[in-house]
Amino acid sequence: MLKKLGAVAVVAAAISVAVSTTAWGSAKGPDRVSAAAAAKVTCGKVRTIGVAAPLTGPAASIGVEQLHWAKYWAARWNRKHKSARIKIVSGDTQLGVDTAFAVKVAHSFASNSKVLAVVGPAGSQEVVASTSAYKGGSLGFISGSATRISLTDGHTDGNRIGYFYRTVPNDGVQAPRVANYMIKTLKWKRVYIIDDQETYSQGLADGVQAILKKNGVTVTRDSISQQASDFSSVIAKIPANTQGVYIPWQLAPQAQAFGQQLKAAGKSHVTLFGSDGLFSPDWKIAGSYDSFFPVSPSNATVLAYVKAHNGNGEYFGSPSYVAAQVDTLAITKACTLGHGKTTRAAVRKQIAKMKLKSSILGFPVSFSRGGDLHSPATFGIYQIQKDGTFKPVG
Amino acid sequence: MIATRQQRLGNFAGLGLVLVAWVLYAVYASPTQGWTFFLQLTVNGIILGSIYALIALGYSMVYGILKLLNFAHGDVYMIGSFIGFGVLSVLGGALSPAIPVVLLVLCMFAVAMIGSGVLGLVIERFAYRPLRNAPRIAPLISALGVAFFLENSALLLFGAQYRNYDGYDLISFNGIHIGGPTGVFVSYLGVIVISSSVALMVALVALVRWTRFGKAMRAVSFDREAAAMMGIDPDRVIATTFFVGSALAGAAGVMFGLVYSQIYHLIGFIAGLKGFTAAVVGGIGSIPGAMLGGLLVGMTESWAKGYLNGNVADLVVFGILIGFMLIRPTGLLGTPALQKV
Repeated sequence: MLKKLGAVAVVAAAISVAVSTTAWGSAKGPDRVSAAAAAKVTCGKVRTIGVAAPLTGPAASIGVEQLHWAKYWAARWNRKHKSARIKIVSGDTQLGVDTAFAVKVAHSFASNSKVLAVVGPAGSQEVVASTSAYKGGSLGFISGSATRISLTDGHTDGNRIGYFYRTVPNDGVQAPRVANYMIKTLKWKRVYIIDDQETYSQGLADGVQAILKKNGVTVTRDSISQQASDFSSVIAKIPANTQGVYIPWQLAPQAQAFGQQLKAAGKSHVTLFGSDGLFSPDWKIAGSYDSFFPVSPSNATVLAYVKAHNGNGEYFGSPSYVAAQVDTLAITKACTLGHGKTTRAAVRKQIAKMKLKSSILGFPVSFSRGGDLHSPATFGIYQIQKDGTFKPVG
Repeated sequence: MIATRQQRLGNFAGLGLVLVAWVLYAVYASPTQGWTFFLQLTVNGIILGSIYALIALGYSMVYGILKLLNFAHGDVYMIGSFIGFGVLSVLGGALSPAIPVVLLVLCMFAVAMIGSGVLGLVIERFAYRPLRNAPRIAPLISALGVAFFLENSALLLFGAQYRNYDGYDLISFNGIHIGGPTGVFVSYLGVIVISSSVALMVALVALVRWTRFGKAMRAVSFDREAAAMMGIDPDRVIATTFFVGSALAGAAGVMFGLVYSQIYHLIGFIAGLKGFTAAVVGGIGSIPGAMLGGLLVGMTESWAKGYLNGNVADLVVFGILIGFMLIRPTGLLGTPALQKV
């Protein structure tokens, strides 16, 4: 018995030593991060960009697309710039599970002095959670999908001005475009809105719902999990005289399944309207509408991506290509100005000044003080044709 | 572990009262009134419940024979759905099948069932058999480990993208209208799922009741040591049970893909939990209980989505699980285990 107690005591002592060491380590963490933040880095032949995206977990399909596009940019850049190559390091934020993963990734990037700028994170809630870690590391981070309006206002969800940027127009741009198209062009009077319970989806659904209601459209609001596959009960609730269903979702196969189940339930007369998250060949319900950046699928860069990825456009990830592009150009400029050495602060300064006359998204890229796209492009409206292609209609 | 006639009657009387009260509320008092809507949700729930029932059978069979909660079972179902998708893709896909559709669907079922069954055998052999005499927590942890292993293997092998079966394109968007064009609609695909599930369940009941293997299975379930002394090879019986239970999960995976189209590497997690809930509600260890539990869980989920909101469907389902655990932990058709003294 005494032996057992002794063993337990030894284990307990070992655990307490380990815990206190870890605690000490984490207490010292900010110092290390600060050191990495302030360090002047020799640019050398390889410069590192972190990509924070959900690579596993329920939103992995989105994150993998973003990583693919960021890597695609790096590969194209590296072919022409052998002496200033870009290395991508990825961190898995597991969007939809717990924002703690995004914070861990942010800390790992912040404490890695080689990381000079970041692409991501994907979700608005992840941006909010990980801001202090990125700020602590003096890292600029550019999201290709976080669209919550308040992220860039400098006070509602915290202040990240000078650190956070995004290469997507926010919900305040997309929602009015969609709602006005429904009202003025499609002349819809009865609309059913289903969000997928994610921040992105709920923000857009709220925005569109408010404008439609203000204009006298009868709106019914519903919600279904992003992981749901059985839509039969929700479909049963959609009144037969509904003209359109707005589904601002992020997973095109889910929209495809929804469309098929809608048709199978005898409601094929109801037209679907999706958001930028659904601009993908995986969604091919003919007659449906979708809003997306004015990206052209026939653009040579986009076509080359599709070819390199077995025919998968993965268009939702394309803003991450532009985010990686901005990071790269900012690092390059900062390195040039610093004569081969730079700091993260210098890189952030260059991100803020960035001006791309054109991008694969179909609009120029420069940022407002808050980090939004300076002159937000209007979203294009597309209609899915019988062969599955997206035809611009507005 | 089978309930007495009186206990069953009591259970069913209680359940019947709850259901009648619910139907009356749903049809006459809820904001969304009407029989058609209620029946449509019920039909949708039966289709979903048929799939849960097949998953629940695997849980119940394994628990019945080993007293093990096989938490990897949901992921066997996921692998089954991927195998079915693989067969569909190899044979031309839903839009341009290379062989007659009936043959294609049969091939999908056959290969998925065999593949999942073999996976079940492998899991039993390497993850559970070595721990058969270990404390009960050990195989439980092993089961969770296998579940994560399968999920991440699928992520590695098939990627994170969702895959679409496009089952309606493959079979038909048409179906049966009950009560005219505005009445209750049951798609042919739904009919196929319900009838296939019933056929598989009947076959399982026949296997357990009227075959030598079934008798051996019941004997091992009752007393493994005594069964071994009577010349039954428990290892073989347990392995075969895993094969059968996993094959049923594989069939459920294909059915899910056909009806609900999209599959991905994490579909097994929630489906596994729903199957487990169904097994508990029905009475874990009881085959008819698993079927009944599956249907009840499916219908409850469908009603919750229809009358309440998609947000709360899982809350209701798992609330029922907690309720049963508190009020009647042995489920509808189970009985408390007798303690040997």
